[in-house]
Amino acid sequence: MLSRVADSLYWMSRYMERTDGILRMLKINYASSQDDSQEFSWKPVLRIFTYLDEEQSTAIAHQTRTVLQYMVTARENANSVLNIVTKARENARSVQDHITKELWQCLNDFYHTIRDEQLVRGLHQDDPVSILDILIRQGLLYYGITDITMARGEGYAFINIGKFLERGVQSADILDIKFSDRNYDLTRTDTTYWKYLLLSVSGYELYLKTYRTGFDARNVVEQTVLNEDFPRSVIYSINQMQRYFQRLKSDRNREAWGKIDFMIGRIQSKVKYSTVESILREGLHPYLNGVKEDLYEVGNVLNQHYFAYL
Amino acid sequence: MQTNELLNSYNVGGHTWDEMYAHQAVRPQYQGVVDFLQQMSIEELNKKEELAKRLFMSQGITFTVYSSGEGIEKIFPFDIIPRIITATEWSYIEAGIRQRLKALNLFLKDVYHNQFILKDGVVPVEMVYSCPHFLREMHGFSIPHDIYVHIAGIDLIRDQDGTFYILEDNLRTPSGVSYMLENREITKRIFPDLIPKNNVRTVTEYPDILHRNLVSLSPRQTAHPTIVLLTPGIYNSAYFEHTTLARLMGVELVEGRDLVVDNHRVYMKTTAGLQQVDVIYRRVDDDFLDPLVFQPDSMLGVAGIMSAYRKGNVAIVNAVGNGVADDKAIYAFVPAMIRYYLNEEPILKNVPTYQLGNADESEYVFANMASMVVKRTNESGGYGMLMGNVASEEEMYRYKTEILKDPRQYIAQPIINLSSAPCYMHGRLKPRRVDLRPYALCGPEGIQIVPGGLTRVALREGSLVVNSSQGGGSKDTWVLAG
Repeated sequence: MLSRVADSLYWMSRYMERTDGILRMLKINYASSQDDSQEFSWKPVLRIFTYLDEEQSTAIAHQTRTVLQYMVTARENANSVLNIVTKARENARSVQDHITKELWQCLNDFYHTIRDEQLVRGLHQDDPVSILDILIRQGLLYYGITDITMARGEGYAFINIGKFLERGVQSADILDIKFSDRNYDLTRTDTTYWKYLLLSVSGYELYLKTYRTGFDARNVVEQTVLNEDFPRSVIYSINQMQRYFQRLKSDRNREAWGKIDFMIGRIQSKVKYSTVESILREGLHPYLNGVKEDLYEVGNVLNQHYFAYL
Repeated sequence: MQTNELLNSYNVGGHTWDEMYAHQAVRPQYQGVVDFLQQMSIEELNKKEELAKRLFMSQGITFTVYSSGEGIEKIFPFDIIPRIITATEWSYIEAGIRQRLKALNLFLKDVYHNQFILKDGVVPVEMVYSCPHFLREMHGFSIPHDIYVHIAGIDLIRDQDGTFYILEDNLRTPSGVSYMLENREITKRIFPDLIPKNNVRTVTEYPDILHRNLVSLSPRQTAHPTIVLLTPGIYNSAYFEHTTLARLMGVELVEGRDLVVDNHRVYMKTTAGLQQVDVIYRRVDDDFLDPLVFQPDSMLGVAGIMSAYRKGNVAIVNAVGNGVADDKAIYAFVPAMIRYYLNEEPILKNVPTYQLGNADESEYVFANMASMVVKRTNESGGYGMLMGNVASEEEMYRYKTEILKDPRQYIAQPIINLSSAPCYMHGRLKPRRVDLRPYALCGPEGIQIVPGGLTRVALREGSLVVNSSQGGGSKDTWVLAG
C-alpha cells in the first residue's frame, strides 16, 4: 500500500473519531446545561476540543448557542465539526480507490449535510439536540459502512489504528480536563457532574451495572481508564490498537514494525497493570498526561516509518 | 395532454440536422424513447432530473471551484434525454476512427524515427518543427509495440446534411470517459428498464479493455505487473475521473510525490518500502512529467522518469510527444497521412482548415472572418477561440493583430452548423447543439472502440460551443445494436 494512502486512511479515521467524540460531548453537555442549577460553563469542553485561549473561552463559556455554533459550523475554528469532516472527506477523496464506494459516498454526504444552511440555522434557533442527532447518526453510518464493506486488509488496519489512537487520547483528555475542573479532588460527591461525564463517553449505563454504591470519582477513573470491556476506555483503545497493529507484521518492514510493536506493548502493559490506587499515587494528571504523550509518540513513529513519502 | 406539449414545442430551425426529428417526424431510433417520455408527466420528468442531480452530488461526481479559499462542489450539467446513434452510423464512425488512428500512430512513429513523410514533402518540415509538442527527447527511441496513442478521444460533429466530420484528434490525455460510464449509470437509475427495451449496447467493458492493454505493455515479464494511474492530485478538475478509472481497473492511483526514480527504474513508496512500477497511465501533461527534462518547476511529475522511460524500464501511456499529431495545424494533413501510409481514401472527413501561416489562405480568412472560427493550435477546451459569427468588430481586429504576430499559432475553419438533439429544459424539449467523442483504445491486439462515447451539448440556446468550460453539458450516448 502506498505510504500516502496509509497516511490518508489513518487521518480520515482519526478525524471521524474526533467528530464522533465532539458531537457526543456537545449533545450531553447541552443536556447538562439545561439541568444546571447554576450557570453552566462550557469551559472544559472548549479546553478539550478547541485552541481558544483562557480569555477567549471565558468570554463565551456561558453562551450555549455561540459555543455550539463555534464547535459545529464555524469556519474559523480549525477543529469545528465542519472543518474536520471536510478534512476527513479530503483524505477520503484522495484515496477513493482504496475505500469502498459506499464509504466514500457516506463521507461525501456527511460533508454536504454539514454545509446545509438550514442545519446551521437550526443550530441557532431550533432544538440543537435534533441537529446533533442527525450528525451523530451520519457518523454512525460511517462506522457501520466501514465495518460492513471494507476489506480486512492493510488499509482497514490503518483505519483502526487511527481510530483507537484518537479515541484513547480523547478519553484520557476528557477525564483529565473534567477532573482538573474539580482540582483533581476525588472526594467530592458531585453526582450530576460525574453522571454527565459518564454520559458523554457513553459509559453511564455500564457504570450503573458495575458499581452499585452510587457515585464515586475513583470508580469513574477506574471505568474510563481500566475497564477492558468499556469500548471508550483507555485500555480498550490501546488493546484494539495493538490488535490491529499485529496485522501489519510482515517481513518487508520488520525492523520498524518491531520498534512500534514494542512501544505499543509498553503502553499497554503500563495501563493494564495499573490500579486506581497506583494511578492516584502517581497523580491523576501526570498519569493521564503520560499515557497521552506515549500515544502521540506512537503516532509520530508511525509517521516516520509507514507514512513518510514527502 | 401535457406530454404533447412537451414535444410540440420542439422546433428545429431550418438548416440544422436534428438527431431526433426529420421532416417533423420522429426518426425510428428515437421512437422508443419518445413513446416512453409520452407516458410521463412533466412532474415526473422534473423529479427524474432532480434525482439525476442528487445522484451526481452524492457520488461526488463533481469538480471543485475554489473561491475565497473555500471549495464549492459543482456538477457538470447532465441532460436526461439520451443521444442515440444507429448501428449503421456507428459502424461508419468506427471504421473511420480506426483508419485515422492507424495513420496517426504511423505518423508518430515516422516523425520520431526516419521522417519519411517529411522527406517526401507530404507534411511540411517547418510545420512539425515549429510545433511545441514535437519533442526531440523522443527522437530515435522505440516504444513497446510501436503504439503511441493508447487512448484517443476523437471529436466528431455533424453538419446540416448529417455528414460526420472529425473536429479534433485528442491524442494526449483525453478526458471525459468517466462521464460516458457514469452518465449511463445515471440513466439506468432514472429510467428503469428503458435501456434493455431499446437494445442499447453496453459500455462497461471500457476499463477491462484498458486494463488488459496496460498489462500487455509491462516491460518486466511478470504475472502481476504494477500498473499505476498518475494524477496531478485532488485539485485537478478531472480528479473524479482519475479515481473512477483507478477503482474500476483496480490499479493504484498515485501522485508524483508517491514515485521516485532510482537507477533508471520507477518505484512507488509503500508502507513496505519501495515497489517497482511497470506501467504508468499518466494524466499529467508532457510538460509537467519530468522536471529534469521539461518544466523544471513542475511539482506534479517525477524527476528522472524520462530516463527510466528511455531505458525501457517503464511504459508510459499515452506516449510522450503525441502532441505533434493532434496539433490543430497538423490536423489539416491527416487525410494526406491516411493516403500516404495506408493508401486509402479517408472515411471520415476533415473540416476544411486554413493555415494562417499561408498568405493566400490567411487573406481568404480575414475577408470572411464573420463565418469562421479561429483557433489557437495549442489550446484546447474551448480556450483561445474566436467564433466569427458572434464576435464584435473590435474582437476581430484584436485577434487579427495577434494572428499577424505569430500566424503559425492559428488556424481557421468555416463555422459548422452542428447537429441538434433534444434536451429537457424546464418542462419542454428543446433542440441544442451536440458533438460526439468516442473513446478508442489501441493495444497489441488492435484498436477497440467501446460503442458509446461522450456527447457534449451546448446548453445555451443557439450556442455552437460545447466545451464544459464554456457552459456545455453532457448526455448519455446510446449506440443501438443492429
